[in-house]
Amino acid sequence: MTFGEKQTDPLAKTHWRGDMQADYFYPAGVAGDKFFKHLKENDSFLATKCNKCDKVLFPARLYCEDCFEEIPDADWMEVPATGVVRLFTIATLNAHGEKLENPKVMALIDVDQTDGAILGVINMVDLNKDYIGLKVKAALKQKEKREGTLKDIIHWELV
Amino acid sequence: MKDVAVIGAGMTLFRRHLKETGKELSYYATKMAMEEAGIQKDDVDMVVMGSAPDAFDGIHMKGENLIDGAAAAGKPYVRVFNGGGTGVFGPIAGWWHVASGVADVVVVTCEEKMGNCYPHPQTAFRHIWDPILDRPLNPNLVWLFAMEYNRYMTTYNIKKEYIAEVAVKNKRNAVGHPSAQLADANITVDDVLNSEIMAWPVNRLDISPPSDGAATLIYCSKDVVHKYTDDPVYVAGVGWNIDSTMWTNRDLSFPRYVAKAAKMCYKKAGILNPPKDVDFVEPYDPFTYKELHHLEGLLMCKKGEAANMTHEGVTQRDGDLPVCPSGGLLGVGNPIAATMGQKVCEVYWQLAGKAGKRQIPGDPRVGVGQACGDIMQMATVIALRRG
Amino acid sequence: MSDEKKYTGYPPYAPGTHIRESDIQERKISYSWWEPEVQYAWSAGHAMNVFLKGLKNGKIMGIHCKPCKRVIIPPRMFCEYCYGPTDEWIELPDTGIIETYSISYLDSDARRIKEPILIGVIDIDGADPHHGFMHYFGEMSKEEIKIGMKVKAVWKPENEREGSITDIKYFKPL
Repeated sequence: MTFGEKQTDPLAKTHWRGDMQADYFYPAGVAGDKFFKHLKENDSFLATKCNKCDKVLFPARLYCEDCFEEIPDADWMEVPATGVVRLFTIATLNAHGEKLENPKVMALIDVDQTDGAILGVINMVDLNKDYIGLKVKAALKQKEKREGTLKDIIHWELV
Repeated sequence: MKDVAVIGAGMTLFRRHLKETGKELSYYATKMAMEEAGIQKDDVDMVVMGSAPDAFDGIHMKGENLIDGAAAAGKPYVRVFNGGGTGVFGPIAGWWHVASGVADVVVVTCEEKMGNCYPHPQTAFRHIWDPILDRPLNPNLVWLFAMEYNRYMTTYNIKKEYIAEVAVKNKRNAVGHPSAQLADANITVDDVLNSEIMAWPVNRLDISPPSDGAATLIYCSKDVVHKYTDDPVYVAGVGWNIDSTMWTNRDLSFPRYVAKAAKMCYKKAGILNPPKDVDFVEPYDPFTYKELHHLEGLLMCKKGEAANMTHEGVTQRDGDLPVCPSGGLLGVGNPIAATMGQKVCEVYWQLAGKAGKRQIPGDPRVGVGQACGDIMQMATVIALRRG
Repeated sequence: MSDEKKYTGYPPYAPGTHIRESDIQERKISYSWWEPEVQYAWSAGHAMNVFLKGLKNGKIMGIHCKPCKRVIIPPRMFCEYCYGPTDEWIELPDTGIIETYSISYLDSDARRIKEPILIGVIDIDGADPHHGFMHYFGEMSKEEIKIGMKVKAVWKPENEREGSITDIKYFKPL
C-alpha cells in the first residue's frame, strides 16, 4: 500500500523543479491611456469628477465605481502634480527581501484638489522625520524623455 | 428553492486585443445588462464574477481587481473559476445565490483579457499540464485537442468534411453579431480543409481565436420579477460535473462528464427526451469537432451521429434543432469565461425574442447552454425556459 | 457604415476599442510591461517517486487497485474512483498500442515547424484498457502512424537517464 510505504532513500526525487515563464503587457485602458498621454506632454495630472456623488476621482477613470455611472469627457479636469503626505514608511528591504543600499521613504500622497491618492517615493531620507502632513511636489522627467508611464514621475520632493 | 429569472444581459466587442482594461470591459458589459434590466447599482444585492486563469490577465487574484467594473464595490461577492467551464458555471453560481433565497437580484459578470499574456496566451496554457508527466515533453494545448479529435473521428469513422461544416455554419451564423470577431458570410468547407494544418487533424479554421471580452447576465427571483418584465425567462435546470485529471486514462471519444452534467440539469428541468424537449442548443465549440462531441454528450443524438445531423442541415438556424445560432466561439470569439455571452446570454435573448438578425424562427421555449473546461474535465450545463 | 441596416436586437451594440499588434509595437497606446520570474519545486509525491525511479532503471511501474481490480498507469497513491489506497506495484512491459495521436506542425510555443512532431497517448500492455500516458512517436512517418498500432519504448542509454518521463526518447513501431 503506497500510503504505508516509507521513503528511506535520501537520493529519491522528492521534488520536481521548474518555472512559469510568461511576459505580460498591461494596457492602461481607455482612461489610463488619456491620463498617461496627458502626463507625457504636461506637468500636471488629469482627474475625473463624478457628478452624482461629487467625488473627484484620482487616478482618472472611465466610471465611478460607487455610482456606477460613466464619466463624460467634459468632466475630466486638470489638477496640479502636488499633494500632501497621508502615510509613509521607511523601506529598508527590496521586493525580494534583500537589504537596500539606501533606505527609501515610500509615501501615500493625497493629490491636491482630488479625493484620491498615489504611491510615491520621497527623495529626502531622514530616519527621524515625521513626513505626515508635509506638502510634496512631483519631480517629472524632461518632456523629451517621458514615455507615458508612471516612471515619468522620478520621485516626489518636499516643498 | 426559489425560481430564478433572467432579466438582462450584455456583452462587449470580442477581439484579439482590446484597448480597455479588464475593469473597463466589465463595466461596459455590466452597464449594458443593467440598462436592459432597468436597474441601478443600488438594486443589486450580490455579484458573482467568473474569470478563467489569472495567468491570462497577468494579475494575481484578478477577480478582486475586476470588481469595481462589475458593480460589486461594497457588495457581497464571489469569484468562480473552472477554466473553459466558467462561462456557464458563473451563471450556475449566480443561480445558487437567488434560488437559495439569500439574494433577490444578482449580477453575474465574466471577463477575460487573453491578450495581456504576451506574445501569445499559449504560454499560460503550458502551465495546465502536469509538471512531471507532461511538461517535460513540452506539449502545446492544441496537441491535446488534436488527440481527442483524432480519437473521436476514428472511433466513429467521421468524415473531416462533415466536421468542417461546423466552422462554416458558425462563422456564417456570426454575421451580424455586433461582438463577432471572425464572422464570415462566404466561408466554405474547402476553405477550412485547405487552411494550414496546426496539429493534424486540426486545421487553423477549426480553432476559435483567443480574445479579450466581457459579458454579463442579471438574475432576479420570481418574487420580484413582476417589477422588470411580464414575460420572464426562467432557469429551468442546472448541472455540473468533473472527471478525473488523469486524461490519459479515459476514453476520449465520448465526454461522459458532459452526459452526467446534462442528466443532472435535465432532471431538474423535466427534460425527458432532449432532442424533442429542447428547442435549440448552444454547446461549447472551441474547436469544430467539440460542438459535435458535446452534442452527443448532451444526449441530443446517438454517439457518432452529430456529424450526420450537421451535414443534413438539422443544426442550421432554420433546422429542427438549431445549434450555436449565435455563431459560437468559432464565429464570435473565445475569451474563455466571457463566452457566457454566446452560451447563456444568447439562450436568454433567443427565448425573449430579442436576438434580432440571429433570431431562430418559430416559438422557442427551451434552450440549453453548455461549457467545458480544464483538461477535458469539467462540464457545466444550464437550461432556460420561457413561460 | 451608413448603408448597413441598423441592427435591431441584443446586444444592441458592442462596446470596446479594437487595437492591433502594430499599435502595441509602435507604442500608440499607453501600457506597462512585466516579466515575472517565478520558480517552483513541485512535490513529486511517493507514487511519482517510484515511477520516476523505475524509469531511471528502464522500467515502467504500474500499480494495482484491489476493489476496482484495475492496473493503473501512471501510478498514484489512491484510486480516484473508489477513493481507497492503491496496493501492489507491478512492473509493466515497455510496449503498448497507440490510443490516439496528432501530427503537429506547431512546437510547444505555437511556432510553426517544417518537420512535424508525432505525439500521442500509448495504452501500456498489462494495464487496464485506456490506461497509459502521453509521449512522442519516432521511426515512423506521418503516413504510417495509426490508432491501434503496436509500439515499443526506445530508451535513453542508462548513463543519460535522470528519472524523468524523458528517459524514454519515444515509442517506435513494434
